[in-house]
Amino acid sequence: MEAGAPTGVIGLVATIGRATLGGVAAIGKVANFAGRGIRAAVTPPWYPRQILGQFMAVGFLSLPVVGLTAWFTGAALALNIYSGGDRFNAETVMPQIVALGIARELGPVLAALMLAGRVASAMASEIGAMRATEQVDAMVTLSTDPRRYLIAPRLIAATISLPLLTLIADIIGVAGGMQVSKLLIDLSPSIYIINTIDFLRSWDVESGLIKSAVFGFIIGLMGCYHGDHAQGGARGVGRATTAAMVSSAVLILAADYVLTSIFARL
Amino acid sequence: MTTEFYTIPGQDKIMRAHLGETLMGFVVLAFAGLFLAYALGVAGLGGAHGAYGLTARFGEAGGLQPGAKVTISGVKVGSVSAVTIDPKTFLAVIRVSMDQAVQVPSDSTAKITSDGLLGGSHIAIAPGGAADNLKPGGEISNTQGTVDLFGLIGQVMRPHDAAPAPTPSATPAAKTPAALPDMGGQ
Amino acid sequence: MTQTPNLAPAKLEWRHVTKRFGANKVLDGLNLSVGKGRSLALLGRSGQGKSVTIKVALGLMRADGGAVLLDGVDVTHLHERERRASFAGIGMLFQGAALFDSLSVWENVGFRLINADGTTRREARDRAIEALALVRLGPEVADRYPAELSGGMQKRVGLARAIVGAPSLLFFDEPTTGLDPITAGAINELIVDKVRSLGCTAVSITHDLTSARMIADDIAMLDHGKIVWHGAAADLDHADHPLVRAFVTGKGDGVE
Repeated sequence: MEAGAPTGVIGLVATIGRATLGGVAAIGKVANFAGRGIRAAVTPPWYPRQILGQFMAVGFLSLPVVGLTAWFTGAALALNIYSGGDRFNAETVMPQIVALGIARELGPVLAALMLAGRVASAMASEIGAMRATEQVDAMVTLSTDPRRYLIAPRLIAATISLPLLTLIADIIGVAGGMQVSKLLIDLSPSIYIINTIDFLRSWDVESGLIKSAVFGFIIGLMGCYHGDHAQGGARGVGRATTAAMVSSAVLILAADYVLTSIFARL
Repeated sequence: MTTEFYTIPGQDKIMRAHLGETLMGFVVLAFAGLFLAYALGVAGLGGAHGAYGLTARFGEAGGLQPGAKVTISGVKVGSVSAVTIDPKTFLAVIRVSMDQAVQVPSDSTAKITSDGLLGGSHIAIAPGGAADNLKPGGEISNTQGTVDLFGLIGQVMRPHDAAPAPTPSATPAAKTPAALPDMGGQ
Repeated sequence: MTQTPNLAPAKLEWRHVTKRFGANKVLDGLNLSVGKGRSLALLGRSGQGKSVTIKVALGLMRADGGAVLLDGVDVTHLHERERRASFAGIGMLFQGAALFDSLSVWENVGFRLINADGTTRREARDRAIEALALVRLGPEVADRYPAELSGGMQKRVGLARAIVGAPSLLFFDEPTTGLDPITAGAINELIVDKVRSLGCTAVSITHDLTSARMIADDIAMLDHGKIVWHGAAADLDHADHPLVRAFVTGKGDGVE
């Protein structure tokens, strides 16, 4: 605080005002970054090798962690319905509740949170390290736009990969629930599946996929933004990594609520 | 992980550098693919994988929910997979999935039975005597809908109000033989 | 304050350039020009804005005031895309070489060819190997990754990357910092050699006087965001500016 800054109540109000202004400024910066990133992602030139590489790193290599998470989530959900839901005969609709919970909410959100931990942080640390070692500047002097070469492929890959991963998570989550229902209430797998498929509407799955595309964009955006704004060498890169992870997780959950309430009105 | 983990030297190098993860990725994909194929097989073809679907139409399906069990002689043999309405006839169309091991004669009767005053409902099938069995996807044409317990009680207690009161249960479906459902049936 | 040491038309010129970071005025009305085909070394103590001077010229940083002229054309307010296009004739060797970790040596050297010029990968690889030969690196390093190279080799690869497009203007940011004297000498020789054979203009920033004498025709001394001395490298020993004297003698007396 500069000399002569107001103290007491006025000072407190000034602090709140400053924090608010800072928050608004940060939102503006992120929005600006997002706008430029989207423009770079949807207009040529593209760098197919970079985009493909990102699909590998973001999508394919995330399959194991997303698959495992989905299995356990489906299984735990079924278990909860069994042990908590018997108060109102809920175990008779176990397949339906598992399918609904996985497709609409848990599949998209948990896959996104896993990716926030795995991918947003990795993006931030990679781009941050490239900033710190002047690789981004070097790219500019080599007549290549870092926004197109670094940012756009990550945004594209994250936005498209996450819905695909979510679809896989939905399938595996149902398999996890089926396993538990077979063990606990001896529900025949085929009956479980027929109940699931007859019950699910395509919108249950589609709304989850729309959500996860938004989550994927958030992950790519936060990873790139925090990496690009990393300052102060290795420690700055470390901070950027954490910030990317935390901010994408928070934004994912906030966006989840907003999107779910929009979908509920449709 | 981070930087070193995330570098993009082209996919071939990534796959070499992360052989374990790459293999696991294929395992996950294969698992999801197989499970999906299995599920679609079960749902689409009906009988081939241990369960088959049947439908039944009821004039009144009150209280019946997806997931409710289907019994024969009180033993669970399947479950209700969907409850929908036929927009033309306004009959409730119930889809049930049956255990493959249990084949039902074509003239069997399906009846919606209450589990108790406050409990859910389930479907009880009374096997008929026909020589041929219902095929997967077939329809149980003899049905009896839900008994409207409260309607019945009301009728018994105040018989004069009977006229505007809801007809007890089951507007009998086209081929439903019994006009009045049998309350003590179970 | 400064006499222009040559009459050749200026390849690059800073006109009253200012740049501040918060309250800290890093460049304070900097005037400097480099003649076509000349090699200029920008000397100065650490933290006096040498890197900023180059980054402003390259457009990696935006100047707060003043103008930068490339071949007599004001490039200060170029649109980003035009500026990137203007880099076609410019090469830069960064302090830490700034090689792309994720790319092999030849992909680094051929980066501009592949990603900006649309050259096929096969041809880019051939030309990268040629450029590597110019910095005395054999084709066997082409498929290695930067992390597997020594600091001196990384600098060479960085130099190869800077000269692969036959630029007319080259920048060197502390080319010998962090290298042992023998490797540093080799890098200096390479720089002199390449600048001569390409016939290009060169701007180096350094605080290594030996290096500056070796690679530069002209020397400019930067202090407190201004050029305080500018003259031929040969005149350095006769300069009477106290800071230049301190640099030459290696004694800090009399310089605040």
